Amino acid sequence: MTTSGLLLYARSRTLPRTVAALAATAALAVWAAHGLDAYLDPSRRVPVVALAPLAASALIGASLYSASDELDRTAVRPWWRRRLVHLLALTALAAALLPWAVLGHTSSFGPPAMIRNTLGCVGLTAASAVLLGARLSWLPVFAYVSAVYVAAAGVDGGSVPAWAWLMQPAGERGAWLVALVAFAAGTVLYLLRGARAEGTRD
Amino acid sequence: MTLVAEKKREHRPPAGVPARASRHPLRAEFRRGFAPWAGLALLLTLAVALAASSAQWQGGWAETRERLHTTAQLLGVPLALAAGCWQGGRERRRRTEELMATAVRGGLARFLAAALPVVCWVVAGYAVAAALAMLATGLYATGDRPDLVAPVTDAVALASGALAGHALGRLLPWRLTAPLLAVAGYVVLGVVAYDSRGPLRHLSPIGYASDTDVPVWWQPPAMTVWTGGLAAAVVLAYAARRRFTALLPLAAATAAGALLVQTGEGLWHTNPAAGRQVCDTSTTPQICVNGRYEELLPQVTDALSGLTGRLDGVQNLPVRFTDLPGEPGPDEAHLPMITPLGWSVVRGRLTDPQQFAWEAGQALYGRIECDEAVGPRVAAVDDAVVHYLAPSPAERRFDELAAEGDAAARAELRDRLDARARLKAMGDEERRAWLSEYFASAGTCDPSEVPAL
Repeated sequence: MTTSGLLLYARSRTLPRTVAALAATAALAVWAAHGLDAYLDPSRRVPVVALAPLAASALIGASLYSASDELDRTAVRPWWRRRLVHLLALTALAAALLPWAVLGHTSSFGPPAMIRNTLGCVGLTAASAVLLGARLSWLPVFAYVSAVYVAAAGVDGGSVPAWAWLMQPAGERGAWLVALVAFAAGTVLYLLRGARAEGTRD
Repeated sequence: MTLVAEKKREHRPPAGVPARASRHPLRAEFRRGFAPWAGLALLLTLAVALAASSAQWQGGWAETRERLHTTAQLLGVPLALAAGCWQGGRERRRRTEELMATAVRGGLARFLAAALPVVCWVVAGYAVAAALAMLATGLYATGDRPDLVAPVTDAVALASGALAGHALGRLLPWRLTAPLLAVAGYVVLGVVAYDSRGPLRHLSPIGYASDTDVPVWWQPPAMTVWTGGLAAAVVLAYAARRRFTALLPLAAATAAGALLVQTGEGLWHTNPAAGRQVCDTSTTPQICVNGRYEELLPQVTDALSGLTGRLDGVQNLPVRFTDLPGEPGPDEAHLPMITPLGWSVVRGRLTDPQQFAWEAGQALYGRIECDEAVGPRVAAVDDAVVHYLAPSPAERRFDELAAEGDAAARAELRDRLDARARLKAMGDEERRAWLSEYFASAGTCDPSEVPAL
């Protein structure tokens, strides 16, 4: 019964399709990174290191939608375990697949930076899902990432790693701290509240 | 009392008129739902991106136009596409497609009633961002004039993106259509803007971003027809009762696109304001500033006043400091770089007048193109002249480093200090004569032609 319950949960959240979309995103990221010729200048990978986690987090955020939210909330069993497994499993999958696009250059824009950005973007998306609803959770994160991507170019300063953590090399501790805090806060918020009920509103 | 008070507050419509009959149905579409949030998201996105890099555009109208245009197209168009796409899927999400299909109005009217609020709010968000950017520059502008055509072109591109996105949102029933469309739009625009060298890049609404070049007068209307025509064709093909009417805007868009591609590099020419300069002819050398920053001339003259004062009466100097694109003339020296903004000039002010004056002093002699180093004697002479005219802010630091260095570095420092002292100790007439002789050899690579100090 437990197994079939989990399977039903996975199907109700379109997890098989999300996993396939994550794999496709990773393949696209590998293809895009290959064309950047970043052997000499790792910073040429920044578009992939910033945009691939954004796309992956949008996929994960959309998977948090439940078509029967009101019914779900009447369940006797606590939801937080399923929510935790759901979010962590997809995040781990994205964090395992996306770094293949940027192998090498671990201290700048390599696998660690990709993992950091994946964690941060997923945290923001999970928080957005709680506040706005899962289906629209991509909007604030897309606006934030794209604005930071343009704003951080050519800007220096002590506070830059805090708001432009996506664009920092992997060795920047402040950027890691912000991304991890974002991931932890988004995860906890989602575990406690779940995605905002949307029903059939627009 | 309470009942009476409540009675007074109650609003009764006139007899025979249904409540709120005067309110147009579109009012709710505009005021509620996703549309205002889309406008707010676009405004915040543009505002954050522009504010973070404000030092690099604030105060220069051309820089403001370029940054606003690039940001609006690169960030705004994907966001408008996604916002329109999300709105396009609204009827499906709230399961009112069949109900809407029974409405008396035609398909195009229903489409526009749902799409126009997002279009208008996105354009409004952009308009507020553009107005704020222009206000921010207007407070610190030092010349040139604002370009009001580029924002209109940007607004049309954003509206076109929202309309086309709306049609795609209705066609593709997948909840990930909107975010993936946004990411795809971002990637395509970014690749076309920064990596493409082919003629098709002239079809990108970003175009060729430059501070010194401006488009020919018909490029903005042609780009407007290109982007607007494509969006109109998509909308008519999707929602019009007579779908063949989509061919008309499609033909117009194709003609405009062909015109843009065929003209290619001819779409751009140098900003007329960048090709002229304003000069202060009362100094030696004269000081000229590019016409785009003409109101900076008093600041520049003031920053160089020490240098020009010490050069008064000296012969063999360049006639003027120029600030035009390209190499200066034979009797001219290049004014230290004012652009790109954000370095020596920020918000209409010179950030470091002493550094600016030192760079101007450096421009008066040029041995950079010499094949070999000119030797320690000439280097000490050059250093003494620059020290006398306008010392570098970092000079003391370099001297301290040399004093802590090895024996050779300390010997070079002694030579430099001796040369500075000898030049300073000269009488005014003697120094003017020596400097005249020095500047006669300012461009030579032969050490024997440089006068001893």
